[in-house]
Amino acid sequence: MKSLWIMLKIEFKLAIREFSGILFGIILPAGIITLLGILFGDKLASGNDGYTMLQQSFAAVITIGICATGLMGIPITISSYREKKVLKRFKVTPTSPVLLLIAQFLSNFILAVISSVLVFVIAYLFFDYKMIGSLWIFIIIYLLVVLSIYSIGMLIASISNSVKTSNLLCSLVYFPMFFLSGATIPYEIMPKGLQKFADIMPLTQSIKILKGVSLGSEINGYLLQIIILLVTTIVCIILSIKFFRYEY
Amino acid sequence: MVKEFIKAKGIKKTYDHVKAVDNLDITVNKGEIFGLIGPNGAGKSTAIECILGTKKKDSGSVDILNMDPINNRKRVFEEIGVQFQDSYYPDRIKVKEMCQLVASLYTKSIDWREMLSKFGLSDKSKQMISELSGGERQKLSVILALLHKPKIVFLDELTTGLDPSARRQMWNFLKSLNMQGLTIFLTSHYMDEVHYLCDRISIIDKGKIITTGTPDDVIKAVDEGSLEEAYLKLIAKKGEIQ
Repeated sequence: MKSLWIMLKIEFKLAIREFSGILFGIILPAGIITLLGILFGDKLASGNDGYTMLQQSFAAVITIGICATGLMGIPITISSYREKKVLKRFKVTPTSPVLLLIAQFLSNFILAVISSVLVFVIAYLFFDYKMIGSLWIFIIIYLLVVLSIYSIGMLIASISNSVKTSNLLCSLVYFPMFFLSGATIPYEIMPKGLQKFADIMPLTQSIKILKGVSLGSEINGYLLQIIILLVTTIVCIILSIKFFRYEY
Repeated sequence: MVKEFIKAKGIKKTYDHVKAVDNLDITVNKGEIFGLIGPNGAGKSTAIECILGTKKKDSGSVDILNMDPINNRKRVFEEIGVQFQDSYYPDRIKVKEMCQLVASLYTKSIDWREMLSKFGLSDKSKQMISELSGGERQKLSVILALLHKPKIVFLDELTTGLDPSARRQMWNFLKSLNMQGLTIFLTSHYMDEVHYLCDRISIIDKGKIITTGTPDDVIKAVDEGSLEEAYLKLIAKKGEIQ
């Protein structure tokens, strides 16, 4: 436990120094929610369902932090630890390198939570945001989304054979999800064809459930999405364990 | 009675039909400084990794402190320190953070501040490792390998890239640690260093050990004036036969 705590502290410091995680994971979503608040304020969303544009976009903005940490932070750090033989160095100590991986996950998870809480606080304090649905169900689904996105990140870390490949794969997965899943551009205004394409991405499904739950829809309506996320998580974890190596 | 700290017997390792290490026998006794020397690509690093268990050997047996390093991983690595050739560190990590991190991996560890001051690195503790000079980095890698007071330490090409005075400083430090009872397994390309430091050496070429003994014995056996000459003669001779 002592070593996990020290690793976590150091990993966290390194993440702050590295800064891109902070920029894309925390500052960016905080900026987007502020912008949405200023632009739309409490304007009602189209469709006359009685909720505001901000309420409609909130869930999508919340996921930006998860993606920045899970699809950029985790895979790139882990593959650079492999390339720099940090994991190999751990193999000749009594402590398992798995502990370092756990610390890496936790430190990224903490960043994601900070990001989401900040987005919530900004929306709540300055723009009168109120979550219509249950906060607890929202949190549970949030954790499921973290698991599935992080498992995709772990799979990227496992299959890439250098930091370069890892960077490339991250961009290939991150940017389409970032732009097409509704995290930045509302899913509702996209053409049908693009929506179909966006639907294959786990993040699109994640945002659908989070949005639904935050707007007070019944969780039962999202069984299919939940199953998709669970399957994604399980498949990615199995594959990343199968392909994981401590060194190139 | 001599106590064998490392006993490796008949180690074989093949990569894609190339024998990297072929039937290697190495014994290192308690309190000894042992040197494994040989040309680049001779199999030194592979030999070390097979002994440590970080590379899977094809056959053979290894015994470190009477334990199998693969089955008793945790207990063995509490007692041995390893400095790999070219040490890398996480980006943007500071000296003291790396020390804290490594110290946390062991159940017992000595004060890293004390070690830093012994090596004259005290004023560098808040610096990024990436800002250190080559010599300082090498010193740090030794400090990190010794933080948990191991009984045996593996040093792979420790002094490569050091200037003469830093090298000399390192020698003195290793000698003094050895006097205090540390067993050292090292590889090096500098024959003056090997001669000065090592109690016993093995010369390895193309995965096979061609001779073992004290540096003086090795020199005498081929009737040469220095270890460097003896080494060159032994390696060349083997080249001629093939």
